[in-house]
Amino acid sequence: MAKSSKKLTPRLRKLSVYLYIPNIIGYARVLLNCYAFGVCFSNKWLFSVLYFISFVCDAIDGWCARKFNQVSTFGAVLDMVTDRISTASLLAILSQVYRPGLVFVSLLALDIGSHWLQMYSTFLTGKTSHKDVKDSTNWLFKAYYGNRIFMGYCCVACEVLYLILFLIVDTQSESLVDVVGSSLQQGSLLSILVALSLFGWAIKQVVNVIQMKTAADVCVHYDIEKKQKP
Amino acid sequence: MANVKKTAPRLRKLSVYLYIPNIIGYVRVLLNCIAFYLCFSDKRVFSVLYFISFVCDAIDGWCARKFNQVSTFGAVLDMVTDRISTACLLVILSQVYRPGLVFVSLLALDIGSHWLQMYSTFLTGKTNHKDVKDSTNWLFKAYYGNRMFMGYCCVACEVLYLILFLIAGKQSESLVDVVASTVRQGSPLSFLVALSLFGWAIKQTINVIQVTCTSYDGNVSLS
Repeated sequence: MAKSSKKLTPRLRKLSVYLYIPNIIGYARVLLNCYAFGVCFSNKWLFSVLYFISFVCDAIDGWCARKFNQVSTFGAVLDMVTDRISTASLLAILSQVYRPGLVFVSLLALDIGSHWLQMYSTFLTGKTSHKDVKDSTNWLFKAYYGNRIFMGYCCVACEVLYLILFLIVDTQSESLVDVVGSSLQQGSLLSILVALSLFGWAIKQVVNVIQMKTAADVCVHYDIEKKQKP
Repeated sequence: MANVKKTAPRLRKLSVYLYIPNIIGYVRVLLNCIAFYLCFSDKRVFSVLYFISFVCDAIDGWCARKFNQVSTFGAVLDMVTDRISTACLLVILSQVYRPGLVFVSLLALDIGSHWLQMYSTFLTGKTNHKDVKDSTNWLFKAYYGNRMFMGYCCVACEVLYLILFLIAGKQSESLVDVVASTVRQGSPLSFLVALSLFGWAIKQTINVIQVTCTSYDGNVSLS
Protein backbone atom coordinates (compact mmCIF):
# COMPACT_ATOMS: atom_id res chain seq x y z
CA MET A 1 0.00 0.00 0.00
CA ALA A 2 2.62 2.52 1.16
CA LYS A 3 5.04 1.40 -1.55
CA SER A 4 2.66 1.85 -4.48
CA SER A 5 1.29 5.21 -3.29
CA LYS A 6 4.85 6.44 -2.71
CA LYS A 7 5.74 5.35 -6.24
CA LEU A 8 2.74 7.08 -7.78
CA THR A 9 3.17 10.50 -6.23
CA PRO A 10 6.52 11.47 -7.79
CA ARG A 11 5.37 10.12 -11.14
CA LEU A 12 2.09 12.02 -10.93
CA ARG A 13 3.98 15.15 -9.95
CA LYS A 14 6.24 14.72 -12.98
CA LEU A 15 3.25 14.16 -15.21
CA SER A 16 1.50 17.23 -13.87
CA VAL A 17 4.46 19.44 -14.85
CA TYR A 18 4.33 18.03 -18.36
CA LEU A 19 0.63 18.91 -18.42
CA TYR A 20 1.03 22.51 -17.23
CA ILE A 21 -0.88 24.86 -19.50
CA PRO A 22 2.20 26.82 -20.62
CA ASN A 23 3.98 23.59 -21.42
CA ILE A 24 1.07 22.39 -23.52
CA ILE A 25 1.33 25.69 -25.39
CA GLY A 26 5.00 24.79 -25.79
CA TYR A 27 4.12 21.48 -27.44
CA ALA A 28 1.72 23.32 -29.74
CA ARG A 29 4.60 25.62 -30.69
CA VAL A 30 6.78 22.64 -31.60
CA LEU A 31 4.00 21.15 -33.74
CA LEU A 32 3.35 24.50 -35.44
CA ASN A 33 7.03 24.82 -36.28
CA CYS A 34 7.33 21.27 -37.62
CA TYR A 35 4.32 21.78 -39.85
CA ALA A 36 5.45 25.24 -40.90
CA PHE A 37 8.87 24.08 -42.04
CA GLY A 38 7.27 21.12 -43.73
CA VAL A 39 5.32 23.46 -46.02
CA CYS A 40 7.79 26.36 -46.16
CA PHE A 41 8.70 25.91 -49.80
CA SER A 42 5.29 24.90 -51.06
CA ASN A 43 3.28 27.56 -49.23
CA LYS A 44 5.28 30.57 -48.08
CA TRP A 45 2.37 32.49 -46.64
CA LEU A 46 1.08 29.57 -44.59
CA PHE A 47 4.61 29.02 -43.31
CA SER A 48 4.91 32.67 -42.26
CA VAL A 49 1.53 32.67 -40.51
CA LEU A 50 2.30 29.47 -38.56
CA TYR A 51 5.81 30.68 -37.69
CA PHE A 52 4.41 33.97 -36.47
CA ILE A 53 1.66 32.29 -34.43
CA SER A 54 4.33 30.13 -32.81
CA PHE A 55 6.28 33.29 -32.01
CA VAL A 56 3.19 34.89 -30.44
CA CYS A 57 2.62 31.74 -28.38
CA ASP A 58 6.14 32.23 -27.05
CA ALA A 59 4.95 35.39 -25.34
CA ILE A 60 1.61 33.88 -24.31
CA ASP A 61 3.05 30.84 -22.57
CA GLY A 62 5.28 33.03 -20.39
CA TRP A 63 2.26 35.09 -19.40
CA CYS A 64 0.22 31.93 -18.72
CA ALA A 65 2.98 30.49 -16.60
CA ARG A 66 2.98 33.52 -14.34
CA LYS A 67 -0.81 33.90 -14.29
CA PHE A 68 -1.53 30.26 -13.44
CA ASN A 69 1.52 29.93 -11.19
CA GLN A 70 2.84 27.16 -13.42
CA VAL A 71 6.38 28.39 -13.97
CA SER A 72 8.67 25.41 -14.55
CA THR A 73 12.28 24.83 -15.48
CA PHE A 74 11.13 22.37 -18.09
CA GLY A 75 8.88 25.03 -19.63
CA ALA A 76 11.70 27.58 -19.77
CA VAL A 77 14.03 25.05 -21.38
CA LEU A 78 11.38 23.93 -23.87
CA ASP A 79 10.82 27.58 -24.76
CA MET A 80 14.49 28.36 -25.27
CA VAL A 81 15.20 25.25 -27.31
CA THR A 82 12.17 25.84 -29.56
CA ASP A 83 13.29 29.44 -30.13
CA ARG A 84 16.82 28.45 -31.01
CA ILE A 85 15.78 25.69 -33.38
CA SER A 86 13.11 27.69 -35.18
CA THR A 87 15.43 30.68 -35.69
CA ALA A 88 18.24 28.36 -36.82
CA SER A 89 15.97 26.60 -39.31
CA LEU A 90 14.68 29.88 -40.73
CA LEU A 91 18.25 31.19 -41.11
CA ALA A 92 19.22 27.91 -42.81
CA ILE A 93 16.42 28.37 -45.32
CA LEU A 94 17.29 32.02 -45.92
CA SER A 95 20.87 30.96 -46.67
CA GLN A 96 19.46 28.78 -49.43
CA VAL A 97 17.37 31.44 -51.14
CA TYR A 98 19.73 34.39 -50.90
CA ARG A 99 23.27 35.17 -52.07
CA PRO A 100 25.59 35.45 -50.26
CA GLY A 101 24.20 32.61 -48.19
CA LEU A 102 27.13 32.88 -45.78
CA VAL A 103 25.57 36.04 -44.31
CA PHE A 104 22.80 33.93 -42.79
CA VAL A 105 25.21 31.19 -41.81
CA SER A 106 27.18 33.84 -39.88
CA LEU A 107 24.01 35.12 -38.21
CA LEU A 108 23.24 31.54 -37.23
CA ALA A 109 26.73 31.20 -35.74
CA LEU A 110 26.26 34.42 -33.77
CA ASP A 111 22.83 33.35 -32.52
CA ILE A 112 24.04 29.96 -31.31
CA GLY A 113 27.28 31.30 -29.87
CA SER A 114 25.78 34.21 -27.96
CA HIS A 115 22.86 32.24 -26.51
CA TRP A 116 25.04 29.27 -25.58
CA LEU A 117 27.62 31.42 -23.78
CA GLN A 118 24.85 33.40 -22.10
CA MET A 119 23.18 30.21 -20.85
CA TYR A 120 26.48 29.00 -19.41
CA SER A 121 27.23 32.27 -17.67
CA THR A 122 23.69 32.42 -16.28
CA PHE A 123 24.13 29.03 -14.66
CA LEU A 124 27.62 29.73 -13.40
CA THR A 125 26.52 32.89 -11.66
CA GLY A 126 23.43 31.25 -10.26
CA LYS A 127 20.92 33.51 -11.95
CA THR A 128 17.63 31.98 -12.95
CA SER A 129 17.17 33.67 -16.30
CA HIS A 130 19.60 35.18 -18.76
CA LYS A 131 17.29 38.17 -18.79
CA ASP A 132 18.22 39.06 -15.19
CA VAL A 133 21.32 41.09 -15.86
CA LYS A 134 21.39 43.48 -12.93
CA ASP A 135 25.10 43.76 -12.43
CA SER A 136 26.40 44.09 -15.96
CA THR A 137 28.53 47.14 -16.51
CA ASN A 138 27.89 47.63 -20.22
CA TRP A 139 25.47 50.52 -20.83
CA LEU A 140 23.86 49.10 -23.95
CA PHE A 141 23.41 45.83 -22.11
CA LYS A 142 21.64 47.49 -19.22
CA ALA A 143 19.51 49.58 -21.57
CA TYR A 144 18.55 46.48 -23.54
CA TYR A 145 17.78 44.15 -20.66
CA GLY A 146 16.49 46.92 -18.42
CA ASN A 147 13.68 47.85 -20.76
CA ARG A 148 11.51 44.84 -21.51
CA ILE A 149 9.53 46.59 -24.22
CA PHE A 150 12.68 47.68 -26.05
CA MET A 151 14.04 44.15 -25.72
CA GLY A 152 10.78 42.74 -27.01
CA TYR A 153 10.87 45.12 -29.97
CA CYS A 154 14.40 43.99 -30.91
CA CYS A 155 13.53 40.30 -30.67
CA VAL A 156 10.30 40.72 -32.67
CA ALA A 157 12.17 42.87 -35.21
CA CYS A 158 14.61 40.02 -35.89
CA GLU A 159 11.91 37.45 -36.52
CA VAL A 160 9.83 39.86 -38.60
CA LEU A 161 12.87 40.80 -40.71
CA TYR A 162 13.70 37.16 -41.42
CA LEU A 163 10.08 36.37 -42.28
CA ILE A 164 9.81 39.39 -44.59
CA LEU A 165 13.07 38.45 -46.31
CA PHE A 166 11.71 34.98 -46.89
CA LEU A 167 8.42 36.28 -48.25
CA ILE A 168 9.80 38.91 -50.62
CA VAL A 169 12.55 36.85 -52.16
CA ASP A 170 12.65 37.69 -55.83
CA THR A 171 12.84 34.96 -58.43
CA GLN A 172 14.90 37.28 -60.63
CA SER A 173 17.47 38.29 -58.06
CA GLU A 174 18.87 36.20 -55.28
CA SER A 175 21.06 39.05 -54.18
CA LEU A 176 20.29 40.02 -50.60
CA VAL A 177 21.54 43.57 -51.07
CA ASP A 178 19.37 44.11 -54.16
CA VAL A 179 16.21 42.77 -52.56
CA VAL A 180 16.62 44.77 -49.35
CA GLY A 181 17.64 47.87 -51.27
CA SER A 182 14.69 47.79 -53.63
CA SER A 183 12.18 47.09 -50.85
CA LEU A 184 13.46 50.12 -48.92
CA GLN A 185 13.38 52.35 -51.99
CA GLN A 186 9.73 51.55 -52.70
CA GLY A 187 8.57 54.04 -50.09
CA SER A 188 5.67 51.74 -49.21
CA LEU A 189 4.40 50.39 -45.89
CA LEU A 190 6.69 47.44 -46.48
CA SER A 191 9.66 49.81 -46.63
CA ILE A 192 8.77 51.25 -43.22
CA LEU A 193 8.37 47.77 -41.77
CA VAL A 194 11.70 46.62 -43.22
CA ALA A 195 13.47 49.75 -41.95
CA LEU A 196 11.99 49.37 -38.46
CA SER A 197 12.90 45.68 -38.39
CA LEU A 198 16.42 46.33 -39.64
CA PHE A 199 17.01 48.79 -36.81
CA GLY A 200 15.82 46.42 -34.08
CA TRP A 201 17.67 43.51 -35.70
CA ALA A 202 20.92 45.50 -35.77
CA ILE A 203 20.66 46.32 -32.07
CA LYS A 204 19.99 42.69 -31.21
CA GLN A 205 23.03 41.49 -33.15
CA VAL A 206 25.24 44.07 -31.41
CA VAL A 207 23.88 42.91 -28.04
CA ASN A 208 24.62 39.31 -29.09
CA VAL A 209 28.26 40.18 -29.71
CA ILE A 210 28.56 41.99 -26.37
CA GLN A 211 26.84 39.05 -24.68
CA MET A 212 29.55 36.71 -25.90
CA LYS A 213 32.31 38.83 -24.43
CA THR A 214 30.48 39.36 -21.13
CA ALA A 215 29.61 35.70 -20.79
CA ALA A 216 33.18 34.64 -21.58
CA ASP A 217 34.36 36.94 -18.77
CA VAL A 218 31.90 35.27 -16.42
CA CYS A 219 33.31 31.83 -17.28
CA VAL A 220 36.84 33.04 -16.62
CA HIS A 221 35.80 34.79 -13.40
CA TYR A 222 34.11 31.61 -12.20
CA ASP A 223 37.34 29.63 -12.48
CA ILE A 224 39.32 32.36 -10.70
CA GLU A 225 36.82 32.45 -7.85
CA LYS A 226 36.91 28.68 -7.57
CA LYS A 227 40.70 28.67 -7.31
CA GLN A 228 40.64 31.32 -4.60
CA LYS A 229 38.29 29.35 -2.37
CA PRO A 230 40.10 27.03 0.05
CA MET B 1 49.48 49.61 -3.81
CA ALA B 2 45.88 49.88 -4.92
CA ASN B 3 47.13 49.51 -8.49
CA VAL B 4 48.61 46.11 -7.69
CA LYS B 5 45.24 44.94 -6.46
CA LYS B 6 43.58 46.24 -9.61
CA THR B 7 45.99 44.65 -12.06
CA ALA B 8 46.10 41.28 -10.35
CA PRO B 9 42.51 40.23 -11.18
CA ARG B 10 42.85 41.61 -14.69
CA LEU B 11 46.13 39.78 -15.21
CA ARG B 12 44.58 36.59 -13.90
CA LYS B 13 41.66 36.98 -16.32
CA LEU B 14 44.07 37.64 -19.14
CA SER B 15 46.14 34.60 -18.25
CA VAL B 16 43.11 32.30 -18.61
CA TYR B 17 42.45 33.80 -22.04
CA LEU B 18 46.07 33.02 -22.90
CA TYR B 19 46.06 29.41 -21.73
CA ILE B 20 47.57 27.16 -24.39
CA PRO B 21 44.41 25.10 -24.95
CA ASN B 22 42.39 28.30 -25.29
CA ILE B 23 44.82 29.65 -27.87
CA ILE B 24 44.30 26.41 -29.76
CA GLY B 25 40.59 27.19 -29.40
CA TYR B 26 41.05 30.57 -31.07
CA VAL B 27 43.01 28.88 -33.87
CA ARG B 28 40.07 26.49 -34.32
CA VAL B 29 37.70 29.43 -34.68
CA LEU B 30 39.97 31.05 -37.29
CA LEU B 31 40.36 27.78 -39.19
CA ASN B 32 36.58 27.41 -39.31
CA CYS B 33 36.03 30.99 -40.46
CA ILE B 34 38.53 30.58 -43.31
CA ALA B 35 37.19 27.14 -44.15
CA PHE B 36 33.58 28.27 -44.50
CA TYR B 37 34.60 31.34 -46.42
CA LEU B 38 36.25 29.06 -48.99
CA CYS B 39 33.79 26.22 -48.85
CA PHE B 40 32.19 26.81 -52.23
CA SER B 41 35.29 27.92 -54.11
CA ASP B 42 37.65 25.22 -52.86
CA LYS B 43 35.97 22.17 -51.39
CA ARG B 44 39.16 20.31 -50.60
CA VAL B 45 40.81 23.14 -48.71
CA PHE B 46 37.58 23.55 -46.80
CA SER B 47 37.54 19.87 -45.85
CA VAL B 48 41.19 19.87 -44.82
CA LEU B 49 40.79 22.97 -42.64
CA TYR B 50 37.57 21.65 -41.13
CA PHE B 51 39.21 18.35 -40.34
CA ILE B 52 42.30 20.01 -38.82
CA SER B 53 39.98 22.06 -36.61
CA PHE B 54 38.29 18.84 -35.55
CA VAL B 55 41.65 17.26 -34.70
CA CYS B 56 42.58 20.37 -32.68
CA ASP B 57 39.40 19.74 -30.69
CA ALA B 58 40.98 16.56 -29.34
CA ILE B 59 44.42 18.15 -28.95
CA ASP B 60 43.29 21.08 -26.85
CA GLY B 61 41.59 18.80 -24.35
CA TRP B 62 44.79 16.80 -24.05
CA CYS B 63 46.85 20.01 -23.68
CA ALA B 64 44.53 21.31 -20.99
CA ARG B 65 45.06 18.23 -18.86
CA LYS B 66 48.80 17.99 -19.59
CA PHE B 67 49.58 21.65 -18.78
CA ASN B 68 47.04 21.81 -15.95
CA GLN B 69 45.22 24.57 -17.79
CA VAL B 70 41.69 23.22 -17.66
CA SER B 71 39.24 26.11 -17.67
CA THR B 72 35.49 26.55 -17.85
CA PHE B 73 36.01 29.13 -20.55
CA GLY B 74 38.01 26.61 -22.57
CA ALA B 75 35.32 23.97 -22.26
CA VAL B 76 32.63 26.43 -23.31
CA LEU B 77 34.72 27.74 -26.22
CA ASP B 78 35.20 24.14 -27.34
CA MET B 79 31.53 23.29 -27.15
CA VAL B 80 30.39 26.47 -28.87
CA THR B 81 32.91 26.01 -31.70
CA ASP B 82 31.74 22.42 -32.18
CA ARG B 83 28.09 23.37 -32.27
CA ILE B 84 28.62 26.25 -34.68
CA SER B 85 30.89 24.39 -37.07
CA THR B 86 28.55 21.38 -37.25
CA ALA B 87 25.56 23.72 -37.68
CA CYS B 88 27.23 25.60 -40.53
CA LEU B 89 28.23 22.39 -42.30
CA LEU B 90 24.66 21.07 -42.00
CA VAL B 91 23.30 24.34 -43.41
CA ILE B 92 25.62 24.06 -46.39
CA LEU B 93 24.66 20.44 -46.93
CA SER B 94 21.00 21.52 -46.90
CA GLN B 95 21.85 23.81 -49.81
CA VAL B 96 23.55 21.23 -52.02
CA TYR B 97 21.27 18.27 -51.41
CA ARG B 98 17.58 17.54 -51.86
CA PRO B 99 15.63 17.19 -49.65
CA GLY B 100 17.42 19.99 -47.80
CA LEU B 101 15.05 19.64 -44.85
CA VAL B 102 16.82 16.39 -43.88
CA PHE B 103 19.86 18.43 -42.86
CA VAL B 104 17.73 21.16 -41.28
CA SER B 105 16.15 18.41 -39.14
CA LEU B 106 19.59 17.06 -38.19
CA LEU B 107 20.53 20.61 -37.24
CA ALA B 108 17.44 20.87 -35.05
CA LEU B 109 18.26 17.55 -33.39
CA ASP B 110 21.89 18.55 -32.80
CA ILE B 111 20.95 21.88 -31.21
CA GLY B 112 18.07 20.44 -29.21
CA SER B 113 19.92 17.44 -27.80
CA HIS B 114 23.07 19.35 -26.83
CA TRP B 115 21.10 22.23 -25.35
CA LEU B 116 18.90 19.96 -23.23
CA GLN B 117 21.94 17.98 -22.15
CA MET B 118 23.72 21.14 -21.01
CA TYR B 119 20.69 22.20 -18.99
CA SER B 120 20.29 18.87 -17.29
CA THR B 121 24.03 18.74 -16.58
CA PHE B 122 23.86 22.04 -14.77
CA LEU B 123 20.62 21.31 -12.99
CA THR B 124 21.91 18.03 -11.61
CA GLY B 125 25.18 19.65 -10.55
CA LYS B 126 27.52 17.77 -12.83
CA THR B 127 30.45 19.57 -14.39
CA ASN B 128 30.68 17.70 -17.66
CA HIS B 129 27.88 16.37 -19.83
CA LYS B 130 30.03 13.32 -20.49
CA ASP B 131 29.82 12.21 -16.82
CA VAL B 132 26.73 10.06 -16.94
CA LYS B 133 27.21 7.76 -13.98
CA ASP B 134 23.62 7.56 -12.84
CA SER B 135 21.78 7.51 -16.13
CA THR B 136 19.34 4.66 -16.44
CA ASN B 137 19.35 4.24 -20.21
CA TRP B 138 21.56 1.32 -21.32
CA LEU B 139 22.59 2.71 -24.71
CA PHE B 140 23.45 5.97 -22.97
CA LYS B 141 25.70 4.25 -20.49
CA ALA B 142 27.30 2.15 -23.23
CA TYR B 143 27.92 5.27 -25.32
CA TYR B 144 29.30 7.51 -22.58
CA GLY B 145 30.96 4.67 -20.72
CA ASN B 146 33.26 3.79 -23.60
CA ARG B 147 35.31 6.79 -24.68
CA MET B 148 36.64 5.06 -27.79
CA PHE B 149 33.18 4.15 -28.99
CA MET B 150 31.95 7.66 -28.27
CA GLY B 151 34.91 9.11 -30.14
CA TYR B 152 34.22 6.86 -33.11
CA CYS B 153 30.57 7.98 -33.30
CA CYS B 154 31.48 11.67 -33.09
CA VAL B 155 34.23 11.36 -35.71
CA ALA B 156 31.89 9.30 -37.91
CA CYS B 157 29.35 12.13 -37.97
CA GLU B 158 31.85 14.76 -39.02
CA VAL B 159 33.48 12.45 -41.58
CA LEU B 160 30.08 11.56 -43.07
CA TYR B 161 29.10 15.21 -43.44
CA LEU B 162 32.48 16.07 -44.98
CA ILE B 163 32.29 13.17 -47.43
CA LEU B 164 28.75 14.12 -48.42
CA PHE B 165 29.94 17.64 -49.09
CA LEU B 166 32.93 16.48 -51.12
CA ILE B 167 31.07 14.00 -53.31
CA ALA B 168 28.07 16.27 -53.99
CA GLY B 169 27.84 15.97 -57.71
CA LYS B 170 26.34 18.29 -60.25
CA GLN B 171 24.41 15.43 -61.84
CA SER B 172 22.16 14.60 -58.96
CA GLU B 173 21.23 16.62 -55.92
CA SER B 174 19.28 13.72 -54.52
CA LEU B 175 20.78 12.63 -51.22
CA VAL B 176 19.45 9.10 -51.50
CA ASP B 177 20.90 8.64 -55.01
CA VAL B 178 24.33 9.95 -54.08
CA VAL B 179 24.62 7.86 -50.91
CA ALA B 180 23.30 4.69 -52.56
CA SER B 181 25.57 4.93 -55.60
CA THR B 182 28.59 5.59 -53.41
CA VAL B 183 27.91 2.59 -51.21
CA ARG B 184 27.33 0.37 -54.26
CA GLN B 185 30.68 1.29 -55.82
CA GLY B 186 32.50 -1.22 -53.64
CA SER B 187 35.48 1.08 -53.32
CA PRO B 188 37.37 2.18 -50.16
CA LEU B 189 35.09 5.23 -50.23
CA SER B 190 32.07 2.92 -49.99
CA PHE B 191 33.60 1.28 -46.97
CA LEU B 192 34.31 4.66 -45.34
CA VAL B 193 30.78 5.87 -46.02
CA ALA B 194 29.29 2.68 -44.58
CA LEU B 195 31.42 2.91 -41.43
CA SER B 196 30.54 6.58 -41.01
CA LEU B 197 26.85 5.96 -41.56
CA PHE B 198 26.85 3.39 -38.77
CA GLY B 199 28.56 5.68 -36.26
CA TRP B 200 26.40 8.60 -37.36
CA ALA B 201 23.22 6.57 -36.84
CA ILE B 202 24.25 5.65 -33.31
CA LYS B 203 25.04 9.27 -32.46
CA GLN B 204 21.68 10.49 -33.77
CA THR B 205 19.93 7.78 -31.75
CA ILE B 206 21.77 8.99 -28.66
CA ASN B 207 20.69 12.54 -29.52
CA VAL B 208 17.05 11.46 -29.75
CA ILE B 209 17.30 9.62 -26.42
CA GLN B 210 18.80 12.75 -24.89
CA VAL B 211 15.88 14.84 -26.08
CA THR B 212 13.21 12.41 -24.95
CA CYS B 213 14.70 10.94 -21.78
CA THR B 214 17.48 13.02 -20.29
CA SER B 215 15.45 16.17 -19.98
CA TYR B 216 12.85 14.08 -18.19
CA ASP B 217 15.30 13.08 -15.47
CA GLY B 218 17.38 16.22 -15.44
CA ASN B 219 14.79 18.93 -15.54
CA VAL B 220 11.29 17.97 -14.60
CA SER B 221 12.05 16.54 -11.20
CA LEU B 222 13.66 19.80 -10.16
CA SER B 223 10.88 22.20 -11.15
